[in-house]
This record gives sequence, structure tokens and C-alpha cells, in this order.
Amino acid sequence: MSIQATNIRKQFGAFTALDGVNLNVPSGKLVGLLGPSGSGKTTLLRIIAGLEHADPGSGRIQFHGEDVTNVPAGKRKVGFVFQHYALFRHMTVMENIAFGLKVRPRRERPMASDITDRVHRLLKLVQLEGLDQRFPNQLSGGQRQRVALARALAVEPKVLLLDEPFGALDAKVRKDLRRWLRRFHEEIHLTTIFVTHDQEEALEISDEVVIMNQAKVEQVGTPQEVYDRPASPFVYQFLGNVNVLRAQVLAHGGAHTPRPATLEANGQVYVRPHDIEVVHDEPGAAGLPAIVRYIHAAGSVARLTLEQAQSREAVEVEISRTELAILGLKPDHLVRLRLRQGHSFPEDYTI
Amino acid sequence: MAAIVSRSLATPPPSAHAAPRATQDPQWVRWTLTAVALVFLTFFLVLPLAAVFTEAFRHGVKAYFASLQDPDALASVRLTLLTAVIVVPANVLFGIAAAWCIAKFHFRGKSMLITLIDLPFAVSPVISGLIYVLVFGLQGWLGPWLDEHDLKVIFAVPGIVLATTFVTFPFVARELIPLMQSQGTDEEYAAITLGANGWQTFWRVTLPNIKWGLLYGVILCNARAMGEFGAVSVVSGHIRGETNTIPLHVEILYNEYNSVGAFAVASLLAFLAIVTLVLKSVVEWRHAQSRAT
Repeated sequence: MSIQATNIRKQFGAFTALDGVNLNVPSGKLVGLLGPSGSGKTTLLRIIAGLEHADPGSGRIQFHGEDVTNVPAGKRKVGFVFQHYALFRHMTVMENIAFGLKVRPRRERPMASDITDRVHRLLKLVQLEGLDQRFPNQLSGGQRQRVALARALAVEPKVLLLDEPFGALDAKVRKDLRRWLRRFHEEIHLTTIFVTHDQEEALEISDEVVIMNQAKVEQVGTPQEVYDRPASPFVYQFLGNVNVLRAQVLAHGGAHTPRPATLEANGQVYVRPHDIEVVHDEPGAAGLPAIVRYIHAAGSVARLTLEQAQSREAVEVEISRTELAILGLKPDHLVRLRLRQGHSFPEDYTI
Repeated sequence: MAAIVSRSLATPPPSAHAAPRATQDPQWVRWTLTAVALVFLTFFLVLPLAAVFTEAFRHGVKAYFASLQDPDALASVRLTLLTAVIVVPANVLFGIAAAWCIAKFHFRGKSMLITLIDLPFAVSPVISGLIYVLVFGLQGWLGPWLDEHDLKVIFAVPGIVLATTFVTFPFVARELIPLMQSQGTDEEYAAITLGANGWQTFWRVTLPNIKWGLLYGVILCNARAMGEFGAVSVVSGHIRGETNTIPLHVEILYNEYNSVGAFAVASLLAFLAIVTLVLKSVVEWRHAQSRAT
């Protein structure tokens, strides 16, 4: 089932959480809602779920073309997973998952044996068989998260909404669980929106990423689109490390500047650390002169911190460790930097 | 600092079963503090309690039970129980409602409401009683109207119930507000997204989470409702066999130099206090258990 949010506004006192946000999630997609804290992403998710209401006079929420703006949360057929799981602490895993079925009116409520069957099927689906009699505080964070997911799925929602689903987990479990969620999504194909402030997470598992900043949507696209063609300096900086170089300096240094047509007089060029090539400073060599300051070689790539020879500003560069070995770089070496690619935005558009 | 370090090095490492040490104070300091506390408790708490029972049984078991079976004494017990039966459920309802709206919703005047709930703790009980006399008494605001319709509030049971309700209403609310605030609203929201209505959310999610705190508040509220003297004394009128609660009856008997009678009836309250303390400890223990597991 597709989800449309049109012109959603939400004000908390003087703070604007959402400022005319539009969102369109196609049926069956896994969409990551990405942004720094305070950007309004969780508020948007809660409004879609019906846990909060958009300001009067602002837009609508539609599920599959049907207006649900005034439908209460319990009737929207939404599965919601909370950041801190919100499991019922006095109920067992079994009772937690069965809750949504047991609170149904008598006419719609499945028989007790059917409920038990369904709980066991869900436990199998989330790979927690045999834990049905445990209480939430006897489970690990990752297990609780999956119980919360099973509980949300038990009521057969049409839409799944996850609020920072991996936010409270440690790094290793986070990685495992997000890959598991991706595979899981491929199995059940339920329209899913998840909120995260972790760009790596959003880029890894989403079909589509929605980047939010300061109550607005900055860009929507596939992970590759938003990474390769960021629509604004904010998106560029938010999606990874970036060097901001002044275009004039580059031109003087003889370094190749990209997209000169859009470059304004005082424009800045945004370059990812891995899009910079390092060459030896030989006579006649083109490129921005810089001095090597630090070399961090612990990891899959080598990270160099350099200082521009003229402006003294720092530049971060990532090269492979093989390349580092071939160049034989040491601190205080003078080198030249060339840009493989970069982006520029008009000056008044900077953050 | 050096002294602490050297001492902690000198003491053998605590075994795995040893309780964690809060301080490194020398033995004599610990013993002295403990002894002071025990002596204080003996003089101010244990001795009076013992005195109540000794005095009550001074003329033997027979005299003790005879004074309990006095019709006025029985009437005071009945009135106290009646008051508690009305007041405690009323304050449970009020306390849950107030804690629910304070902990789960944002609204204007919230801190004002919290302050108002504390008012009965801040005001002397005698003043609380007087307020009701001024409002409902014959010379008060509503007095003439009540008199016309032949309704008695002051110097009658309704006045006693009102005064007791006022004095005891913070107990349940005060107990629940911090508890519900610390639990937040996520579980309720989860229940709502799963299709539960407000009633189901309350009975199946909120109430089980607060039950030990609630019980604790109920026990304290009940103890105070049965033991309240000041506020009830002002509104009761001290009519024997009609408007005397247990504490008021004890005072009357004592003023009449009937010390066996006074202490016998007082022993009921003392007994209630002990039962309350035991229940309170049990509930606290269970509450801690339910949090720990």
C-alpha cells in the first residue's frame, strides 16, 4: 500500500517540526527517512501513524489514495515499532505479540488456538522460536527489537513504520539486524518507512532515501542518486566526509575544476576525500600544492590529512593502502592534489 | 587520601558474597552511629508503642475486651471503617485520574495542579477542618441552604468524610505521578497502534505497570484516613456513638481518666499501624522485585 503525505505542517510552540513536507512512498518499498536530530523525521513518522496530528489546515495523509488524515491510529492498519521497543514489560513475549489480536472486538477476534499458532509463526519469522515465555527484560536488545517487530506484524498491518529501529543497539548487532531487516523486507514486501540519523544505515538498506533537514525534505532518491548527485551542500555534507575547497584557489593551482558552468565567482567546490588524486610534486605537474601532515593507515583505506600550501587550509584525502605504498608518502612531503570529481553550489546556497 | 589508599590496601579483599561497603569509616564510628539510632528509636517509637499495649492490659485481658465492646467504642470503630471505605476508593479514583493526566499529557496549568495536590500536606489539618466548617457550617456560605433542605454536613458523617478525603488525597496521586512519568507513554502508544481502545489500554497496559505503586499509595491513604484527628475533630462535634471516630473516642476516654478504655481503643490504631507497616514492606519488596526482574 502506498503512502502519500501532502503539505504536512507541525508546530510545537515556537519550534517548527515540519514545514510543508511532501512524501510519496510507492507500494512495497523500503524507504529510509534520514536526517539529523530535530529535523522532523520522527514527527513525520508519528503523523503518518496517527500518533500525532498535523496542524489544522495543513495537508493530508493518504494510504493507497484513501484519505486517512482523520482516521485514529488504531484503525489505520499501521505497524509501528518504537525506538525503545515499548514492549509491555509485564507480559511475556507470547502475550506481547498476541496483544493486538486479543484486544479486537469479540466478533473479529481469532480463536485462542489460532492466536497461538499465529504467534508461533511470527516468532519463527523473526527467528525467536522458543522464547515465547520470556519477559522483555530477559531478552537482549536485538531480540526485543524483533519481538516489537513481530508484535507490530501480528495485526497484519498494511504499512510498517520503524522509528530509529537500530538506534539503541551496539554497532555489531546494528549491522546484523539491518541486513536481516533488508532480507526480511524482501520476503514480506510490506511498504516500510524507517527513520534513522545514520547515513550508512539508510544508504545500505533503503530502496529510496528521503533526506530531511530543518523541517523540510532536502532530497529524495535512490541511495546512489543522493550520494552521487546531492541536491544541496547539506546533503553533500550529511552523506559522508567532504572537503570544501574554494574554486579560485583550485583554478590558480591549475587543478581541474568540475562543472565550471555552475561555478560562481566565489563558489565553493565540494569534494569527497576519495575523489582526490595525490601525485608527486614534479616540475610542471598540475594540481593544488599541499603538504602531508598526518597519515592514518589503520583500516581498509589510508586517510591523509594535508595542508594547502597557500591557504593553510586542511584537506582530507582517502587513497588505497597500495597507492600509499607506491607513492611512498611521509609527513611533510610536498604533493599535488587533483580532483576526479566534485560539486559546486552557488555561494548563497551554502549552509 | 594516602591514608585511605593504604587502609584499603591493608584490608583483605572482600569475598564475592560480602555486601558492598558504602564507606571506609572505622568500626567505632559505625557502632556509635548505629547505637545512637537504636537508642533514639527505642525511646521515641518502641517505648510508646509498648506503653500503649501495657496500659491497655493493665487491668487484665477481661477489662481490655470489655472496653472494646462498649457500644460507643464499637460505634467509633464502625464510623472509622465507614469513612475509610468511602474515602480510600474516592482517592484512588482521583489519584489515578490526576496522575494519568499529569504524566501522560501536556497542558497549561499542569505545575499548578501538581502544587494543588500537595496542598493538604502543606496545610495544618485543623485549618482543613475549619475550611469545611466555614463552607458548610450553619454560619457558613452553604449552611443556610443546607439547613433549609434538612441536610447535615458539619457535625455529621458527611463532614467527617469530606475532611478525611481532603487530608488524604495526595497519597495515591503523589505515589503514582513520578512512577507514571518515569514509565513514559510509549507502551500506551504501542497499545493504541495495535488497535486497543482507551479502556483496554488502561486496564491491560497502564494499570498492571502501576499496581505496586498504587497499592502502596492505598495503604498509606488508608492508614491516614483511619488515624486522622485534627481535621475530623473540628467537623465532628464529638457526639458519642454518632460522630466519634476512633482517634476522637480515644481522646474523650482519656480526658475522662478512663485510661484502660483509652489505651484499649488506641491499641486498635497501634495494631493498624503495625499491619500497615508490614503490608508496606511487603509491597515495597514486591515492587522492587518486579522492577529488578
